[in-house]
Amino acid sequence: MNDRFGLGWRPELAAGILSNLNRIDVVEVIADDYFDAPKSKRRALKTLAIQVPVALHGVSLGLASSISVEATRLEQTARLVEEIQPEFWSEHLAFVRGGGIEIGHLAAPPRTATTIDGAARNLAAARKIIGVLPLVENIATLIDPQGSTLSEADWTRDILAAANCALLLDLHNLYANSVNFGFDPYDFTDRMPQEKIHAIHLAGGRWIKTKTTDERRLLDDHLHDVPEAVYALLEYIGTKMAHPLTVILERDGRYPPIGILLNQLDRARDALRRGRAKRLSEAA
Amino acid sequence: MSAQKFEAFLAKLYVDDNARSRFLADARREASNAGLTDEECAALEKIDFVGLELASASFARKRASRPPRKPDSNLTRWLRRR
Repeated sequence: MNDRFGLGWRPELAAGILSNLNRIDVVEVIADDYFDAPKSKRRALKTLAIQVPVALHGVSLGLASSISVEATRLEQTARLVEEIQPEFWSEHLAFVRGGGIEIGHLAAPPRTATTIDGAARNLAAARKIIGVLPLVENIATLIDPQGSTLSEADWTRDILAAANCALLLDLHNLYANSVNFGFDPYDFTDRMPQEKIHAIHLAGGRWIKTKTTDERRLLDDHLHDVPEAVYALLEYIGTKMAHPLTVILERDGRYPPIGILLNQLDRARDALRRGRAKRLSEAA
Repeated sequence: MSAQKFEAFLAKLYVDDNARSRFLADARREASNAGLTDEECAALEKIDFVGLELASASFARKRASRPPRKPDSNLTRWLRRR
């Protein structure tokens, strides 16, 4: 079983990552950071990709939308994929713009047959231009998307089927949505086609409150340690799946010493290993 | 086409403080003025208001925190030279 564990590449973590490659199997690079980068910066990324397997992670295509992804954005991704030859590339099931307005982050579209069709069309366009489909990632949302007719699980599963693509399952996004909107995250994972889960994201977050009503929701901010509930979900994933997974820890700020992040990777290894062992013992 | 209008309306609601204020005062009128269908207007009247407040604030923080791109570290400069 060759599960791989890695970190999101951030300039603040670069030295720590490169000096600990014996404990890091893969790094995930934000693709958008390199679209307009000078050749020298892209050369640096190629050098990195020689030293450690790299996955590219997009954040601005807006695949899950009735609005078509702009060809120029896909072409930028295609050039980077061609140049870096990543292990895989990934993007979010989100919409990020509409009517000429950039939201500035990942937003959950209405979960409907229309956005499933839109996602399938956008993913087909991505495959045509880039040559390979991305893994698609479930997003965290603070707002229950209005106009939805489907549950998040059904909507996600239907996109995977319509586009014939694989899933990057973000366990903190799943956990945050489950506590914010009252569903069972284990049931969600059960309803995904298991063979299509190829990679996992781990992260942390914090509770935030409204100013007006004092109600609170869990924000996926990538600024905090991975909570116990997410390790528990990872262990559960291990009990369900036989194929290898790539597990990436995302951290976008309030960087602790690299040793703390490596310890969290070790905890992830242990959780997945425990799950794998349970599956084997139950099968025996 | 209407799905695109609906997404555009949500994008505006998340980003534009004035549009959001008008929406909170009279959701149906604001949605109707944007050319949305009766069904869509009715759905928006039942929007997740807690989520709308938190999400729009979160998106605003994200936009405000967009870099000033960080200067390259010595390490990145070294990697470039290789």
